Amino acid sequence: MKPTKWITALLAAAGIVLAPAVQAQEDIVIGGSIPMSGVFAFAGIGIHAGIQDYLKIVNDAGGIKGRKFKYVFEDTAYKPDVSVAAFKKITGGNKVSLYYGDSTAFQRTINPELERMGSIMMAGASLATEINDSKKYPAQFMAGPDYSEQIGILLRHIAKEKPGAKVAIVFSDSEFGRDPVDEFRASAKKLGLTVAVEIQTAPGSVDVSTEVIKLRRADPDYTIFHGYVLAPIPEFVTQMKKSGAKSHFMGTFWTMDSSTVMKLGESGEGFMGVMPYRYYYDTSAKSPMLDKIRQMRPEYQSTPYLQGFLTTMLFVEATKRTLDAGKPLDAKNLKAALNSIKNFDTGGLIGVPITIRGNSIPVGRIYKADMKAKTMVPASDWIHLE
Amino acid sequence: MIDFDWLLLFEVSLAGIGSGGLYALAGLAFVLIFKATKVVNLAIGEMLMMGAYFFFAMASTLGWPIWLGVVVAVLGSGALGALIERLLIRPMLGESPISVFMITIGLSSILVGAVELIWGADQMRLPDFMPSDPVLIGEAMVPPKIFYGFLVATGLIAVVLVVFRFWRGGIALRATASDQAAAYSMGINVPRVFSLAWVVGAMVAAIAGIIVGSISSLSPTMGVFGLSVLVVVIVGGLDSVAGALVGGIVVGLVEAWSGTYLGGQYKMLSTFSLLVLILMVRPYGLFGTHEIERL
Repeated sequence: MKPTKWITALLAAAGIVLAPAVQAQEDIVIGGSIPMSGVFAFAGIGIHAGIQDYLKIVNDAGGIKGRKFKYVFEDTAYKPDVSVAAFKKITGGNKVSLYYGDSTAFQRTINPELERMGSIMMAGASLATEINDSKKYPAQFMAGPDYSEQIGILLRHIAKEKPGAKVAIVFSDSEFGRDPVDEFRASAKKLGLTVAVEIQTAPGSVDVSTEVIKLRRADPDYTIFHGYVLAPIPEFVTQMKKSGAKSHFMGTFWTMDSSTVMKLGESGEGFMGVMPYRYYYDTSAKSPMLDKIRQMRPEYQSTPYLQGFLTTMLFVEATKRTLDAGKPLDAKNLKAALNSIKNFDTGGLIGVPITIRGNSIPVGRIYKADMKAKTMVPASDWIHLE
Repeated sequence: MIDFDWLLLFEVSLAGIGSGGLYALAGLAFVLIFKATKVVNLAIGEMLMMGAYFFFAMASTLGWPIWLGVVVAVLGSGALGALIERLLIRPMLGESPISVFMITIGLSSILVGAVELIWGADQMRLPDFMPSDPVLIGEAMVPPKIFYGFLVATGLIAVVLVVFRFWRGGIALRATASDQAAAYSMGINVPRVFSLAWVVGAMVAAIAGIIVGSISSLSPTMGVFGLSVLVVVIVGGLDSVAGALVGGIVVGLVEAWSGTYLGGQYKMLSTFSLLVLILMVRPYGLFGTHEIERL
C-alpha cells in the first residue's frame, strides 16, 4: 500500500473512532432521578416539565457555545434506593455533568459518590438545612432557601408585622419536619418573638384533635406548619378557626403550591407562606421568564415546576460560565461558576437579583391565600436573609 | 398539683375517647372477619382506604349527594369484600394461617397500587359533610368530626351487636365462629357465612374510612391507620366485638394523653408499649377467647 493510502486509511479509521467521541462532547447531559410516580409525584411531574421547558428554550436558541443539552431521567417513585439505581444507570450510560436528585435521603446517600467522581454538580428537590453546607456537600446546591432559611423569612415577616408576637410551630415527627426547629427557636429569640408552643405530630397521624387543643390553649398569634404537604393542616386550621382562635397560619415551600392551599377551602382564607418564586399567575411585576412560561404552557404551572425550571436555569448558567472560562465541565468548576453568580436576573422568577454564595438562595416572599379569587397574592416584599 | 389543668385533661380525654370510637369501628371490621373466618386481615387499613376513595369518587368526582355517595361507597366496598373473599381467601381454605396472612399483606399492596393507578398518589380532601361547629360538653370543647364520628361508630357497633344476637345470619356467623364442623353439620352454609363476614367487614371498614378520610385527607398512605387498629384488636381480643370497643377507647385515650403530656413523637411508642404490656399480661387480649391460634 502506498504511504498516501496508508494515511487516508488511518485518517478514516481515526474518523470512525473519534466521531462518537466528538458527538458525545457536543451534548451536555443533565441526569435526573425524578419521582414521576409515588407520593411525591405531584412535585416530580412539575419538576420534570420545568426542566424540559427551560432546556427547550436554551436548545432552541442554539445551546451554549453550540453545544446542546440532553436530559436523561428515570422515574424513582420517590424511593432512595431506586434513585441511586437510576443514578448509576444514567451516569453509567452517559457523560453526565449535572444531575437533579429527588430527595434529601438520595442526595445524602449519593454525596460520597459525587465527591469521588468529581464530574457532576447536583441540585434537587431537597431544601434540607443539612444540604446547605458547602463543605459537607461541595458539589450540591438548592434553587431556593433551605427549610431553616424559610422559617427565618417567615419569622422576619412576623416580627415586622407584629413585634413581640407569640409564635407556634407544628411539625411532623420526621427528618423533614424536625429540620428547622432549632432555627425556629433561635430566630424567634433573636427577633424578640415569644415561642408559644412547639407541637410535634406523629407520622401519618389521622386525628390531631389533642394537638389542636394544645395549640388552642397556647393561643399563638402565628402558627407555622412544617413537614407536611397538606394533611393535617386543614384539620388544624378549621378546628382552630371554628373555636374562635385568632392565629394566622403559615406554611413552607412544599405546602405552598396554589392547588394545595386551595384545598383548604374556606378556612384557608388568609393562609400565608414563604415562596422563593413568583406564582405562575403573579403579574404584579414585570417577569419576562414567566411570560415565556405562560406562552409555552397556558394552563397553571405548579411551584415544583418553577423549582425545576429555575434549577435548570442555574445549571445552564453555571455551564455557560465554566465554558466561557475555558474550563472543563467538572463538579469543582461548575460549582465555582455557580458561586460566581452575583446579582443575577432570573427573568422575574425571583423578584430580586440573586447571589449564590453557598449552597442556597436565601430569598423568599410571603404570599397570602385569597380564596375568593382562588389565588395567592403577595403579602410582603422580597425578604433576603444575610 | 394545684396548677394542674383539669379542663385540659378533660378535653383531651374526650378527644381520646372520640378517636377511640373510630378505632373501635375499624377494629369491628377486623373482628367480624376474624371471628367468622379466623383470617388475620392485615389489609384492614387499605380496605378502609378503598371505602373512602369510593366515597370520594361518588361525592366529589361525580358530584352525587352525600347520602347517596355514602350508600354507594358502602355497597361498593361490600362488593369488593365479596370479591376478595371469593378470589383470594376461599381458595386458601384449609391452607396454613401464615399463607392466608401473607395473602392479606399482598392484598394491601394491591389495593394501594390500585388507588395510585386510579386516583394518583396526591393527597385529596373529601367534601365536608359533618357539622363543623365545635361541640361543648360543659366547658370542654370537643372537635365536631370526632364527636359525630364517635356517635356513628358507637351506633354502628350497637347495631352490629344487636344483629349478631338476633338475626339468623348473625347467629350463623356466631355458630361458625364457635365450631365450623358443628355449624356445617347443623346445615349452616359455612362458605356463605365467610362471604357474609367479608362483605359486612368491608362495609363497616368503608364507613370508618369515610369518617377517617373526612377528618384527615385521602391518600394511598391512609392505610397506616390500620396499624393502630391492629393494636386495638389485639388489646381488646381478636375475636371480641366488645373488646374492639374497649380496646379502641383505651388506645384512643393512651394516644391522646401521651400526645398531650409527652409529645406527638411518643404516641406510637405509647401505643405499642401498651400492646406489649397487654400481650405479656393477657396474651389473648382483654376480652379474647383463650385458645386463639397465635401466628
